[in-house]
Formats: sequence, C-alpha cells, structure tokens
Amino acid sequence: MRMMLETHLRQAATVLLESAIRISPPDTRDWGRAMMGELNYVEGPWTAVMWALGGASVLTKHALASLFIPGRHGEGFVPDGGLFAKSASLRKAALAIGGACALAALLFFAAPPFRQAFRVALKPWHMASGNIQSGLKALAKRAEVRHDAEGLAFCAVRLQDPRESARLAEEAVRLDPNLLWVYAVVGMRNPGLSETGPWVEKLQRWDPQNALFHLITAESIEQAHFRRGVWSPPTKEQERAWQSAMVGAFQSPKFDDYLDRVAELNRKVVPRYGFYDPYEVQSREEIDLPVSAFENSERFAKSLLHSGAALEASGDRKGARDKYWTVARYGQLIDSQGRTYLEHGMGTTLQAMAYSQLRASSEKGGNQSETALFGYLAAKFDPVEGEHPGFPGELAFGLDISRRNAAVVEISGLMILIFCGLVVVATSILIAGSRRGARPAAQRAKPLATMVVLTSAVGLLFSSVTLYLTYRPYWYFFQSAILNGERTQTRDLRIFLMYTQTLPGIPPRHYMLLDALLYSRSPSFLFYFWTGVTLLGVSGLALILLRHLLGRPHANATL
Amino acid sequence: MTSYIYIYRLFAVKTPRMSPETLLVLERLVERPTDWRYGYDLSRETGLKSGTLYPILMRLEKHTWLEARWVATEDGVPPRHTYRLTPNGLELAKTQLDEARPRSMVRQPAFCNG
Repeated sequence: MRMMLETHLRQAATVLLESAIRISPPDTRDWGRAMMGELNYVEGPWTAVMWALGGASVLTKHALASLFIPGRHGEGFVPDGGLFAKSASLRKAALAIGGACALAALLFFAAPPFRQAFRVALKPWHMASGNIQSGLKALAKRAEVRHDAEGLAFCAVRLQDPRESARLAEEAVRLDPNLLWVYAVVGMRNPGLSETGPWVEKLQRWDPQNALFHLITAESIEQAHFRRGVWSPPTKEQERAWQSAMVGAFQSPKFDDYLDRVAELNRKVVPRYGFYDPYEVQSREEIDLPVSAFENSERFAKSLLHSGAALEASGDRKGARDKYWTVARYGQLIDSQGRTYLEHGMGTTLQAMAYSQLRASSEKGGNQSETALFGYLAAKFDPVEGEHPGFPGELAFGLDISRRNAAVVEISGLMILIFCGLVVVATSILIAGSRRGARPAAQRAKPLATMVVLTSAVGLLFSSVTLYLTYRPYWYFFQSAILNGERTQTRDLRIFLMYTQTLPGIPPRHYMLLDALLYSRSPSFLFYFWTGVTLLGVSGLALILLRHLLGRPHANATL
Repeated sequence: MTSYIYIYRLFAVKTPRMSPETLLVLERLVERPTDWRYGYDLSRETGLKSGTLYPILMRLEKHTWLEARWVATEDGVPPRHTYRLTPNGLELAKTQLDEARPRSMVRQPAFCNG
C-alpha cells in the first residue's frame, strides 16, 4: 500500500514537471529537463513532489514571461514561441474563443438598450471634447427642413443657446400657434431674452391666471440689473415693476410650468426622429424654474411677512394675518401644482415660513387650537426637519446606488473602447505576422498578440454584459417616461444621468478631469483608484513595448 | 536614442544579482571548483529548494559564470545536468564572496528524508 502511494506520488511529480516543461519557452526547456533528471535521485516521494512543484513554478513563471517578452529568447528564439506555440490547435482555440467573445460583444449593439447605454457611457468624454448638443442641433435642422413645428418646439425648449432657442420657438409658434406655451418654457429658462416682454404679453392673454408669467417678468427685471456682468441698483420704476409682477404672481390662482406639455411633445417627437438620447430628452425635460425665481418669491414672501409683523405690532392683526395667508396660499399653489423638485421645495419652504408666523400670531392671540394647528403645519413643511413633501417619483434606487451605477456604466463604456482598440491592434499584428516574408518582429509579437486578442475579447464581452445589465433598468424608465408618460421613476433616471455627466469618482461640480485635479480639494477614493489603475496599465504597456522594441542580449548558453 | 539603447544593454548584461542565496551557491561551487556538481546535491548542501536554486543557476549560466553539461546515465534514466564555475566565474565569485561580509547562514538540508 505504501509502495503504491509512493509510486503514485512520484508519478504525479513526474507528470507535473513534464507538463511544466511542455509549456515552458524553448530556452528554459533544458533547465526543465535538468530538474526532471534530478527528480529520479530525490529521496522520498513527498520530497520529490516538492521538488517538482518548485521546478514547475520556475518553468511556469518563464512561460508566462515569454508571453510578454518573447524577445528574451534571443538566438534560441523559435517563431511563435511561448505558450501558444506549443500547439497550433491551442492558438487556434484561443483565437476562436476570442473571436466568439468579440462577436458576442458586438451583437449587443443590435439591442437598443445597449446602444443607448453606450452613448450614455461615453457622454462625459463627448462633453469634454466640447461637442455639446450636436445631436439636438442636427435634429433642429431636420425639423426646419420639414417645417415640423413640434420638432422645432422640442429643440427650442432644450437648446442651451438662448438666441437659437428663441429663434426656433418663434418659428414653431409661427407654424403652429397652439404651441404658444413654448414661449413660457423658453422664457422661463432665458428670462434675459429681449423677446421675453412681448412673449409674456401674448401668454397672459392666452392663459391669464397663470403665476408663471409674472415670475418670468420679475426675473427679467432682475436680470436687467446684471447687464454685461455688472450689477446696477434698480431704479424706482424697476422696483415698482418688480413689486407689481410679484404681487401678480402671489395673487394668481394657478401655476402651470407646462412640463406636461413638454412630456407630451417628447412622446411625439422622440419616436418621430428616433432621438433616443436620454441626456437631452429626460435630463432636461424638467429643468426647474431658475433658482432666481425661487429667490424672488422668497424675497417677496419675506417682505410680506415683515410688513405683516409690522401691522401686527401696530395692532392690525387682521391685516397681518391676510399677509401671512397670502404667502401660505402662494406656497400651497406652487407646492400642489408645481411638478419639479425645486418647485415643491419652494412651495413647502414658503408655507413653513407663513405657518410659523401664523402660529406666533395665534399664540399672541391666545388661541390654543390655532397655535397647535399652525405649529403642526410649520413643522410639517419645515424644509430641513419636516416630513418628506412627497415629490412625484420616489427614488427606486437611492443616490448611492445611482452614483455607483453611473460609475459602472461609464467605466464599462470606456473599457469597451479600450478592449476594442486592443483587439483591432492585436488582430492586425497577427495578420501581419502570418504573411509570408513577415518581419521577425511581427512574428515575435504573435504569441503576445494571441494573448491580447483572447483577453481583450473576454474583457470586451464582460464589459458589454456589465454595461447592458447595469443600464437596462434606466432604459425601461426612459421608455416608460417617453412612450407611456409614466413619470414615477424619472427621478432615478435624472439622478443617474446627472452622475454620468461626470467622470467616476469626481464630484459632480467638476466636469473635466483637469477640473478635478486643479480645483477639487477632495476627490473621492474612486478617483484615486481609477487614476492609479490607469497609470499602472499605461506603465505596464510602456514597459512591454520597450522590452519588445529593444529585446534582450542573448547569453551564451552552453547547454 | 542609440545611447539609451546602449545604456539599456549595459544594464542588462551586468553581474547577476548577489542575493544571500546566490552567495550560498557560489560558496559551495567555489569549494570544489573543478568538480561537476549535480543540482540535487547543491540543493541539499545549500538548503535551497528547487524553486530557488534553479533560477540562481540559470542566472549564473546566463552571465557565463557557470558552465553546464549533460551526463549520460544508465538506460531508461534521463541524463543528469551538472554544473561548475567557469574560470572567469570562479574569479568573479571569489571576489564577490570576499566582498560579502561573513555570513553565518546555517541551513538544514532540503529534500532529504527525516
């Protein structure tokens, strides 16, 4: 029994060493045979196994090194040396697996979610190149050629260039007067446009009860103080006009930002032009009222509350409460009829301010039940500690998961590009090395090229699968928002898109890598990690290339 | 560029790295410089395992400090590889051993029963 075990162990050691010799490069094979020769003299079966293990590890290390440094074999070099030279079938199998993986990865491009995911993944790099909104500009040209009013309106509400946006809006309304609301959306986003005044007049005739137009007017007056980037104090006339606009807004019984009409426009125009770019369609669908509109409302609300407090101090409690209630009603209006995060935030903040004043007023008046009620309402709408105001579209994933998914999508997209490049370069080297009369350098590079084709193709497939699986939920959100008007999860999509506009690991305010390096005081761990990985990869490639180019002096082997 | 390549090549043909293990092997080889030595014997004498010993031998041979030859054995048994220092290698090894501070590396022989 013991003899049998010893025999088996010695056989195992022999097989192990033989296998290692088989995969070792030509110039180390003799050393493998040397270790094999000694194996017969090693005393004890376990010692023999350890001897074989040590020898096999040396030979395997050389086999792996030969994949990357084929030039080290010098004169002893045999074309196609290295691991894949041991058998043509092994090399062919590697290439077949690599080809199958590359083909499978390319087939992903046939799937619309994947195409969209790939575009989203490369968006930050696209933006970094300065080529912003090129797709939308091309769509605007097509819509102009077709005299498509809805197409023009679609572009007008999205283009970031205010002049072009205004021109398209004018053209859209000229072609279809029912699209007059487009003036409101464009004016809301660009209140400094000279067209804003005439637009607001038309809009007020068309939808006289909407508070939005007053806010646009107030904002355009506000912006008039910042001509050419220099602030100038408002004239009395401007101040009166601003006050009048804000009074109009606070007394309006209706607030409509027309985002439902924007969504309806999406449903018609996106399939018509095949413009499935979530950045342009979804992330800009709900561009809020400018922050300054919130500031205007808050400033005016505070002035009302202060004047109410002054009235209360002078004994006019009824007059004071009317002022407080004006602010509360306006907050309710914006909160209940607004559709965006900022609008809801503005509504709840104003309500909290108004209810606090009403609570204090009731307390002074000795009305216990009113004090309790307004106290409860003030706490409920408190923007910091209050209840969640219940925005339309709760987050399904949460911020952290969206951030992680965005990083995964970006990195996967980038890796797809890198792996594609490697596959193309390595395949070209293989083709060049396979031709008759190929240069020795090209032949020498064939094992490395085979390895690169195989690993890159596997990496390409892995990256493609990762990109597809990670982005697929967001594709559903986008599809359901565009085709069915289902808006419950568009916040997830918008947050995800916001994170994908920046490079992984870089805070959202830094749009470029250079920005992050220059201005970010605390780039995250991810940023350092990926920078490290990239530098390591580049250094490794440079080293391999250097060694390939220079080769190694050949030692005078005497074996 | 040419000068860089030259420097690179000089760098590549420098003397082998003198690790304590390399010095141990050289010590054994210098002891009986004319004898041809087997790998397993060297392993037992130095206490180095095959995974450590053979890279050293390969490196010494590559730098022409060591010469190797095959020795035929009885039928059916693979030939054995034997080693000894070249005259140049012997001189350099002595220099290296003289330069190295005295070592007190006492190792148990490896790959032996018991």
